[in-house]
Amino acid sequence: MGVVGAAGSLALSARSWVALVVVALAVAPLVLPSFFLQLLTEIAIIGLFATAFNLLMGFGGMVSFGHAAYFALGAYTAALLVKRAGVPLLAALAAAPLVAAAGALLFGFFIVRLSHTYFAMLSLAFAQIVFTVIFKWKALTGGDDGLLDVWPPSLLKSPAAYYYFTLIVVGLCILALHAIVDSPFGYALKAVRENPRRARYIGIDVRRHQLAAFVISGAFSGVAGSLFAFYNGSVFPDFAYFTKSFEPLVVALLGGVQSFFGPLAGAFGFKILEWLISRQWPVYWPLVLGGIVVVVIVVLPSGFVGLVGGRRWRRQPAVKA
Amino acid sequence: MSGLSVGMLLFLVSVGMSLIFGVTRIVNLAHGAFYMVGAYLMVTLVEFLPDRPWAFWLALLLAPVGVAVLGGVIEVGLLRLIYRRDPLMQLILTFGLILVIGTLVLLVWGPDNKSVPRPEALAGSVKIFGQPFPSYYLLVLVLAPLVAVALWLLFYRTRWGMLVRAATVDREMLGALGVNVAALYTQVFVFGSWLAGFGGALAAPTVAVALGMDGDVLTTAFVVVVIGGLGSFAGSFIGALLVGLLQSFGILIFPAVSIVLLFALMAVVLIVRPWGLLGRPEA
Repeated sequence: MGVVGAAGSLALSARSWVALVVVALAVAPLVLPSFFLQLLTEIAIIGLFATAFNLLMGFGGMVSFGHAAYFALGAYTAALLVKRAGVPLLAALAAAPLVAAAGALLFGFFIVRLSHTYFAMLSLAFAQIVFTVIFKWKALTGGDDGLLDVWPPSLLKSPAAYYYFTLIVVGLCILALHAIVDSPFGYALKAVRENPRRARYIGIDVRRHQLAAFVISGAFSGVAGSLFAFYNGSVFPDFAYFTKSFEPLVVALLGGVQSFFGPLAGAFGFKILEWLISRQWPVYWPLVLGGIVVVVIVVLPSGFVGLVGGRRWRRQPAVKA
Repeated sequence: MSGLSVGMLLFLVSVGMSLIFGVTRIVNLAHGAFYMVGAYLMVTLVEFLPDRPWAFWLALLLAPVGVAVLGGVIEVGLLRLIYRRDPLMQLILTFGLILVIGTLVLLVWGPDNKSVPRPEALAGSVKIFGQPFPSYYLLVLVLAPLVAVALWLLFYRTRWGMLVRAATVDREMLGALGVNVAALYTQVFVFGSWLAGFGGALAAPTVAVALGMDGDVLTTAFVVVVIGGLGSFAGSFIGALLVGLLQSFGILIFPAVSIVLLFALMAVVLIVRPWGLLGRPEA
């Protein structure tokens, strides 16, 4: 149960750190130019996406290769509601996770029946279906051209305003996710990850817990998607493409999948690195990203947070469903 | 007919992927990238070899060898270090390789699409049932089944094939019986890469050789392998034919949703028989 203890103690010992980070983020708009606020907004969004993803991977031991589907469902739901139905921003943002969760429930019902590699593959297959539907359904989604001019109301239009707005929404979601991980449900989920058979013996309905985690993770991915839609001002079918599905995976891996805050730290590192490298050598960015993935896996299996904390990746982690 | 030849090319790629999975338990996501490298090597070789009739055939022979060498380097240099780790880590590693290989191809060959001229003897077309049919596709229709037969002989009539089949059933037992499993892994990975490279080289004159071709072929080969059953030789053949035909007929009948059909088929197979039509359930 080392992982459980580690996640708990990290939250406690890191409380002052969290406070420091929150204060730093709050005053950032006073000192940073708007470009960096946009970067921070992106970091917050992808951090939420990766944290939601990691509820499955790190805590549930299930690796989805199709999480872009729920990100895109959220993004398109919000964009369509605002653009086609004239729904106010907040209502659209509230609807996004519901649709994403509905999608996750529908697909997850089948996906959680499988394990390991097959779990990953079926999630990928469903995500490709979502991608194709978005891509081909031109009348509704605009197909390849996407939906443009999906801006938030003028109140939130400035980088600083949208930055604060994103920070609050993401912060609330992270708190909620943390509460979920720390709840009896979260512990049951970890038990399922560690040993599904034993979990079943003590009366945990394994599939139902996995499905619930899948739906929760999908819903929060949907929130991230909808936030990104308004940040970006447009949505594209790429949001559902499989390369997008690898983004939270890489981010979580970078930060360390065994800790709750790992993916957030990973998002920070990922975006800063992307900015530094693609600013000067945009061509090399995928090379560096791929190289990082390879190096992290071979040399640093517990991510950079693991490096700092000195915890080792345990053999036979996660993935036993 | 063109559905058949597409299916045949798919077979070459997916049987390599399936073979690698069967023995090493690695789903090689970089397999599409190997295919792409095979096609690009073909471009370069055809360009640089003297303009003689045999140049095309020599290139077709050499390009896959180059890919096989690449596969060998990756297996020995990277994959060997992580065989004992979580299979998902291996999956993610091969994903990282996609990005690395993709960028290197971009740097070496540039962003423009390339094409490989068909050899003169096969540049025209023949009439089959009154329909014109590019004669190069006939080569594909002959060569790929020949490879399939050769593979069958290799797997079922040689000692090496027996070892490979044994490894897909129980690697530990094979190791306990004194077989050098690590060497077998490398051989299988190199051979699988060769198959991907051969598929790419053979496909090069029929398609635009472009960046991004790796992703297309990967997703389709992936569907083939999942439908047929990971690690099953016959499964790849049937899966490739099914997918090849489904694609060409799907485009005729439901142009908008042919890809959805493909993934829907895969989803149905995964739900009903998660281990594929001819695969074995996980132990």
